[in-house]
Amino acid sequence: MDQILKERDRLLHRTARLYGLSFTIVSLLCLVVPGAIPPESYLVVLPLYALLATAQYFLGRSRAVGWVIAILAVGVALLTVLTFVSSPNPTQAVASAVAQLAAASLASLAIVLTASPRRMIALGIAVTVVVGGTIFLTIQWDSILPMIAVMVLGWVLATIVGVWVSAGVPQAARRIASIGRAHRAERQASELEAQRRQGARLLHDTVLATLTLLAHSGVGVAPAALQQQAADDAKLLRQLRLGATPTPQSSGDYNLEPVEETVLGTTLESVKQRFGRMGLEVSWHGTGQVLLPSDVLDAFLLALAECLENVRRHSGVTEAHVTIVDDATTVRAMITDAGVGFTLDDVDSARLGFKESVVGRLKEVGGHARLFSAPGSGTTVVLEVPR
Amino acid sequence: MSYNINENTLGTAIASNRANRALLATPGGKARRQESQHRASLGTAFIGIGAALVVGVRAIYGFAWFVSMWGEYPNPVWPLAAWILLIATLVTAFVTARVIGDRLPDWMYLVFIALLALVVMLDLIAIWDLHNIGHYATASLTATMALLLVITLRGPVDILATTAVFGVAIGGSMVVNTPLLPDTIPPQITSLGFAVLPVIIGVSVVRGFRRMVQLELDRVLVQSTVSAPRFAVGMLASEELARLDLAAEELLDSVATGRNPLPLKPKIASIAASLATELRLHLIEGRRETWLYHAISESEMLGRSVTLVDRGSLAGLLDANQRDGLLSAIWLLLSDNVKATTDRTVQVQVGPIDAAVESGIGHKLLVPIVVTTTGVTRNRVDPSTWDAIRRAGRYSDSTQNASLRVDIECFVDNPADM
Repeated sequence: MDQILKERDRLLHRTARLYGLSFTIVSLLCLVVPGAIPPESYLVVLPLYALLATAQYFLGRSRAVGWVIAILAVGVALLTVLTFVSSPNPTQAVASAVAQLAAASLASLAIVLTASPRRMIALGIAVTVVVGGTIFLTIQWDSILPMIAVMVLGWVLATIVGVWVSAGVPQAARRIASIGRAHRAERQASELEAQRRQGARLLHDTVLATLTLLAHSGVGVAPAALQQQAADDAKLLRQLRLGATPTPQSSGDYNLEPVEETVLGTTLESVKQRFGRMGLEVSWHGTGQVLLPSDVLDAFLLALAECLENVRRHSGVTEAHVTIVDDATTVRAMITDAGVGFTLDDVDSARLGFKESVVGRLKEVGGHARLFSAPGSGTTVVLEVPR
Repeated sequence: MSYNINENTLGTAIASNRANRALLATPGGKARRQESQHRASLGTAFIGIGAALVVGVRAIYGFAWFVSMWGEYPNPVWPLAAWILLIATLVTAFVTARVIGDRLPDWMYLVFIALLALVVMLDLIAIWDLHNIGHYATASLTATMALLLVITLRGPVDILATTAVFGVAIGGSMVVNTPLLPDTIPPQITSLGFAVLPVIIGVSVVRGFRRMVQLELDRVLVQSTVSAPRFAVGMLASEELARLDLAAEELLDSVATGRNPLPLKPKIASIAASLATELRLHLIEGRRETWLYHAISESEMLGRSVTLVDRGSLAGLLDANQRDGLLSAIWLLLSDNVKATTDRTVQVQVGPIDAAVESGIGHKLLVPIVVTTTGVTRNRVDPSTWDAIRRAGRYSDSTQNASLRVDIECFVDNPADM
């Protein structure tokens, strides 16, 4: 709220500057016609106009009351000089110039004198000084009535501008604040949604695996199997997308829920089937059931699947062995193949996606991975996660 | 298919590269910008009523003049017709503007202008034989100022152009019709000024008001990052992930249904490859940025002039009050820009934590924050900036390269204790 009030004051002051300067120029233009005032009096009048314009310019930059007082003082001095040099019978030019000063140029102060009760009092004083002073100075003129009318009009208009802008700001601020509250809720929701989507790792892993196959145009995999896989994955993604329906419990265990409904699943068996369809025979040994917290399980299965994918793509054999062992503190998986193998130093492990997809994610749940291989003697990966 | 592989969709990669920021053409980003443009009209309806009030007061004043000069018109029917038409137009325009509310269609605006032009013509015809337009014109001057009625419903260019046309028309008539003598010139100048200047000032007020609302909106929207968790994906990245998921779903679906027969065409295959890459990066890299990063990258104002260096993502450790203070301070340093031409920038460096320094306050960690600026002189800083900085932590200020530099010591809870 403080911020916007500051902005409001800045707006009011800038408006007052534009308003005041415009009409100061108009007033000065009236005096440019020949014979408006005695030539020597320009020596006094022009510097006063310059002073007034300077003060009005700085009113637009600063909130200091000093500039208001300066404008008032210079303005009244200017009005006095103008009426004095043209008395007793003012030219039309002087009458117009005085009217522009008293009714518009100085009235621009009303714009900045509406924001607070104290400023309102200052406004009262300013009106009294300028309007009262002008009436006092021009009481002898023929055009005194129109002069009073135009001054009333000028000060009323400027006050309306000031009051209206001041009143409009809190209204806008309240609505902006309510938009802000809505936005905060939206941000939290979107954060949750992102968490939900990022949390659905297993799902994304199968999707990524399938996309990777498609990126190779699906060559090397039976079309029917790949179509089936794509259909299953699309279905999972659709369920993830529609999961936004407000069932609060569903977000936590979301990635398990749709998977249970499908043939391909979170269990080791489903991983086996997935790879079987793509031409890699996976044999399981050891513990069949692993009970793990869901995030650990996700990371574990992901890493496992990633390793199997590497076997499928790089080993040159169609069979892999997975041994699952668990004890009180850890669950360990050993993925072995009898394929071509490689020298660890030759192959950048990042190229295999090993670092980011396997090591990175296991690390997040407190696990780790080790890789053993040599050319011609197959590859073994050991994955460990805490239970 | 709705995805476009030429589009770099990684919020992080683009945002860190300033030159590419303009390319951040995500659907979500666009929607947000449109939304905020729409929201900039907040509160202008109220300003519109104020403008109408101004026109009303001006009309009463003009009408009083008209009545007082009744006996001087060669034929009072003409100015009376002008006034009747003007009042009818003003009332209709006011009511229409309140009903329509947001933007006046082109044809309505043209009708409105045509009616006002007719008023000006009638008024000029009425006083043509008096040969002193500046003195006798009433309805035509109010008609020019009546453009204030639609000032919130049309763009500034429309309004200013129309005002210029009216101003030139009336001014031209004055030159042609009125003998230019020292006694007649001043009323012409003041009348013309009084007709045209209020509209120009009005345009400037509405523009300033819109800008103020826009700025405040930007600030309030960014403010919501203060309550974000230590690491967040940000609004844009979250939308991106949803978009990638949808694109992947459509692609997989098209494969499953056989719309894209296997083996895939190279083009589709490369789409699959880029989708997989982006998805992977989003899943792995998504949650590495702090609230401050998101605040800066999501804000139009901060994004332009703030650079953030936060290698350890330490900004995420600040509590809500400290974040609020730091964000307000940055905001104040930038928004106090007096001249639009001066190029103020702010660089915020968070950390690194110096392990050797003992905080001495419980188990709190000391996160040093260095705010360096360009184009900000010490004595032009708003006093409330220091209050804001103080909420972030103990600070000391100095001058570096003729611009302000603030060193802040933020004490934060040690994440290891949580």
